[in-house]
Amino acid sequence: MDISVEPPRVAAAAPLLELKGISKRFTGVRALDHVDLDVRAGELHVLFGENGAGKSTLINVIAGTFPPDEGSFHFDGEEIRHLTPQRARAIGISPVFQEFSLVPSLTVEENLFLGREVSAGGVLRAGAMRKKARALIDELGFDLDPGRRVDDLSRAHQQMVEIAKALLGKVRLLILDEPTASLTERETGRLFELIAKLKAQGVGLIYVSHRMREIRALADRVTVLRDGRHIRTLDAARVTDGELVELMTGRRIDVLFPAIPHAPTEVAVDVEDLTLADGSVREVNFYARAGEITGIAGLVGCGKSELVRAIYGLEPIVGGTVRIEGTPYDAPAPRESLTRGVAYFPANRVAEGLALSRPIRENASMTALDLPAFARLGLLRQGSERGLVGRAMERLKLRPPNIERPAGALSGGNRQKVMLGRALTRELKVFLFDEPSVGIDVGAKLEVYEFMKQLVEAGAAVIVVSSELPEVLALSNRLYVMHHGRIATELTGTDKTEQNVLASFFKEHLATEAA
Amino acid sequence: MNAHASSLTARPGIAASYGRSLLGSIGFLPALLIAVVIGMSAVDPQFYGPINIINILRNTALLTIVACGQALVIIGGGFDLSVGAVVALASVVTAKTMGLIAASFPGNDALVITGGLAAGLGSGAAVGLINGLCVARLKVSGFVVTLGTMSATAGVALMITSGIPVYGMPQSFVRDFGRVQFFGLPTAIYVALIVLAVMVFVQRRTLFGRYVYAIGGNTDAAIVSGVGIRRHLVGTYVLSGVLAALTGILLTAQVGSGQASFGGDRMMLQSIAAAVIGGVSLRGGVGRVEIVAISALFLTILGNALNLLHIDSRLQPVFLGVIMVAAVALDELGRRRKQRV
Amino acid sequence: MSDLDLASPAATTPSERRVALLALAWQAALPIALVVLLLGFAAVDSAVLTPGNLVNIMQQASYLALFAMAQTVVILTRGFDLALGPTVSMVSVGAALAMAVGVADGQEPGTVLLMGLAAGFALGAACGVFNGVVIAYLGVSPFVATLGSYNIAIGVATTISSGRPVQGVPDLFSWLLYGGNLFGVPAAIVITVIVGVALHLVLTRTVYGRALYIIGTNPRAATVAGLPVKRLLVATYVLCSTLAALGALMMTARTGSGEPNLGGSLSLQAIAAAVVGGTSLAGGRGGVGTAVVGALFVTILSNGMNLTRIDGYVQMVVLGAIVIAGVVLDRLRLERRG
Repeated sequence: MDISVEPPRVAAAAPLLELKGISKRFTGVRALDHVDLDVRAGELHVLFGENGAGKSTLINVIAGTFPPDEGSFHFDGEEIRHLTPQRARAIGISPVFQEFSLVPSLTVEENLFLGREVSAGGVLRAGAMRKKARALIDELGFDLDPGRRVDDLSRAHQQMVEIAKALLGKVRLLILDEPTASLTERETGRLFELIAKLKAQGVGLIYVSHRMREIRALADRVTVLRDGRHIRTLDAARVTDGELVELMTGRRIDVLFPAIPHAPTEVAVDVEDLTLADGSVREVNFYARAGEITGIAGLVGCGKSELVRAIYGLEPIVGGTVRIEGTPYDAPAPRESLTRGVAYFPANRVAEGLALSRPIRENASMTALDLPAFARLGLLRQGSERGLVGRAMERLKLRPPNIERPAGALSGGNRQKVMLGRALTRELKVFLFDEPSVGIDVGAKLEVYEFMKQLVEAGAAVIVVSSELPEVLALSNRLYVMHHGRIATELTGTDKTEQNVLASFFKEHLATEAA
Repeated sequence: MNAHASSLTARPGIAASYGRSLLGSIGFLPALLIAVVIGMSAVDPQFYGPINIINILRNTALLTIVACGQALVIIGGGFDLSVGAVVALASVVTAKTMGLIAASFPGNDALVITGGLAAGLGSGAAVGLINGLCVARLKVSGFVVTLGTMSATAGVALMITSGIPVYGMPQSFVRDFGRVQFFGLPTAIYVALIVLAVMVFVQRRTLFGRYVYAIGGNTDAAIVSGVGIRRHLVGTYVLSGVLAALTGILLTAQVGSGQASFGGDRMMLQSIAAAVIGGVSLRGGVGRVEIVAISALFLTILGNALNLLHIDSRLQPVFLGVIMVAAVALDELGRRRKQRV
Repeated sequence: MSDLDLASPAATTPSERRVALLALAWQAALPIALVVLLLGFAAVDSAVLTPGNLVNIMQQASYLALFAMAQTVVILTRGFDLALGPTVSMVSVGAALAMAVGVADGQEPGTVLLMGLAAGFALGAACGVFNGVVIAYLGVSPFVATLGSYNIAIGVATTISSGRPVQGVPDLFSWLLYGGNLFGVPAAIVITVIVGVALHLVLTRTVYGRALYIIGTNPRAATVAGLPVKRLLVATYVLCSTLAALGALMMTARTGSGEPNLGGSLSLQAIAAAVVGGTSLAGGRGGVGTAVVGALFVTILSNGMNLTRIDGYVQMVVLGAIVIAGVVLDRLRLERRG
């Protein structure tokens, strides 16, 4: 096997990786709060937790992307300080991120060897690299052409390149962040075989996943994180799914989610045979009524986010119809959507929501500058704006209540409040929330949910897209589950359970295997 | 269903890569070039006269050398506005140094020429080093840094000469190097071919070339993969400075005097135009010097053809402008279509 | 680029007040540097501080200030206009030609004046529309788009003028835009001040100005918020070229003829002035203030160096060094803010 792995040490009792009291904070948010973790050689250690629990931050610390604020880091018995990505790779820590670390304009082979090219005196040895790349790809059983450019590959193939890249060279600790998110069943099968082989060779693995089935199949131990804190580390063989979910959510389901009195009336949004230009959504039918929350669940890349973005006018549509309150809405565009009373709250508030260096006031009024309350004849009415935004932020309990501070100075929760403030600056009927609680703390989550409750009570139609199952399960009146660009199932009432959602994925998988 | 989905997403990818390789390796540029050449040969026999051809090739050679350096900087995600000024600086530094050494060691032509070349190339490397260090260390945009060094470099060149051509270079340098012809072709063409060959090799076969692509294509990925960003960025600017200096020296040898009016904004803009029309993406990470050379040839022939056709020389920039915008707009539209697939 | 930093990247420094103080210090730094510069030159040559020279400086700076304002509006959207200089040349000869035609036709002086202004502004606006459409709708980077129109405008300017100055600019035109004065203040200064105040109000008090800053700070967020980004970009390039056209007309009035080389290296000079004044090429930061301060700084520097008989070539080196220093400081300021 070309994946060269150093033999495990004889003193296998000492863990390969040992973290103690690791803390990390960003913009006032404690992403990690004294987290402990140890990974043994030959062990697969699952990190389990909701979005925002700190899993990503933790693996980034281990991979050397950024240093921890405090805590100790031991690898192979040695204390590690000032870890950089280069150094991490050099000592055998190999991360596979969800966000690809590939150069799109280079070929598969060039990406595999990036930073570790075979060369003599600065001159590349193309033949040697080609041979090595072929050998590695064959060994892994991936269907990859080393000469193809990465930006010509599908997401699944890019994921394979990413995994292959991590396995090139000396690997002692492999970090996999939801590696199966965009792989097919067969490719997932190959990956699992590979994982077993690596374990047998004494490689330690950190594996981040939401999927119970994978945890059951692979895990030796599971560490549960919640709100940046280490909750417990358990033996995978001796824990039930229920226990894990309970630890992950902290039984906050009843406490955290407000009881929402759904009172559905007429259909506010309906979508018929909707297909998007990039194929991420295909022939989707669904509807959302006023007075209820309609949830859309699904795995990363299933098209759920693209669906609501298309309704708002951010993704090009190639087929099907969107209707708002029964009126066909052709070629949606953001401005027109707002005029029709449809608002979208993006998942990535830094990239798509806020102008960080501008004041909160300007960020909150951004979508309402066409209204006479904010501007007349193109002239801003700043006094009126200050009053309206100030009252909106007061209602949303922005802290501190100074609306002239730049939005970039706010924590995640307060940033989401600024976004929600936009909902209070104009008349809206349909609210499209894309991952509404990503990156915000528990308190702010509760306030966001309360806000949705008020919207529903006022007779609005709310659509919530979320990868966080407990959230959509608890909030929604009706829940659609998407899989590979299509609606897999619609769940209501007592059918609306985690088991049924997961089952709908399996049903798809089984259908594939049968076909 | 799953397998079906993956095959669906894979297929347009193949089509796209096929389309790109067609556009990249054959492309509309050579086609356009051949069309101009055939058209001009039919219209005006003067076009394929030996004097005209040598003229075209010499100008292409000079532009190619500068454009190779420019292309490398752009592939790495930067810009070099200072190349025109470096051409001028290298010219006067070379001439001045040769004059000074010749005054101290009269008759020792080898020493004089070596010293002059070293000083000229060194001045280019120095400007490139300043550019590179500012961009890589201080993380300032390449555009503004080289805008600043452009002004400063042009100023230094003028200070050295007070705007007057510098003479006093050994005859052997001008006669036996600058104006000599091998097999009927001037030296500049051989120098350009060597530079081009070396640059192709650098791009395809060296770590440096690979890393420049990676840095321009996705800086974060390059960092995570352990590529040293700074020294490679500095390297692109230094190389660009040295190549611009080489062009300045060739011009000096050909004309027989060092002049601060060589190069200038025109050379800088032409080098960027050649790179951009030659498929170097301003987003970084994409571009090949051999296509840039073809693009330089195309631009030179186009200018020559417009002259022979007696199209007002003043109107010629309009053609350059339109072609450049059209080339990039087409590229951009193709990219967008690909994303839609 | 992939963003591995999954948590919020905008980490603020612990004490925001200190950062605010630093920002304030930076804001005040350049005006203070201006005064120091003036006093320094005055120490070498007392002629620097005479009222005559001060008015002279102001008048010189007013042209550069206009061009720097023109660049600033597009720099706010993360762009720039390399074609500004050639636009100036083209407007200059175009307006002069139009007026020459009017004079030859025996039109009234007022009509001739209007013809010149209309031709100048129309040419300027046309440049802006070209740049804006190519950038916003064809997706070409501002660099390539305006480099293209740079060449086109040079070609047009030299062709329609046959490369020679266009004579026949009427006295009324020169008086209105150059020779005249208001309470003793020369026309160039009056016009620049009026335009500067108007532009400041547009940037700070109108929906358009607000949208400009938002687009420059986060174009994707602007799109998601429903702002008509493409139309606004076109409008901004038109505004830029129209301001450049005004400056071109004023310079034409000064020289008394349409000059095909009037623009020269103005594109880069204007960008340099804007950047030195503190306009950020990253977009979203800057305004009339930064443009004017930058233009004044550059003008005073060169005026002072002229009076103290510093070689013109040395001045180029100094200007280059100052541009680099300006962006380095801008960078440091950004990092301080985190």
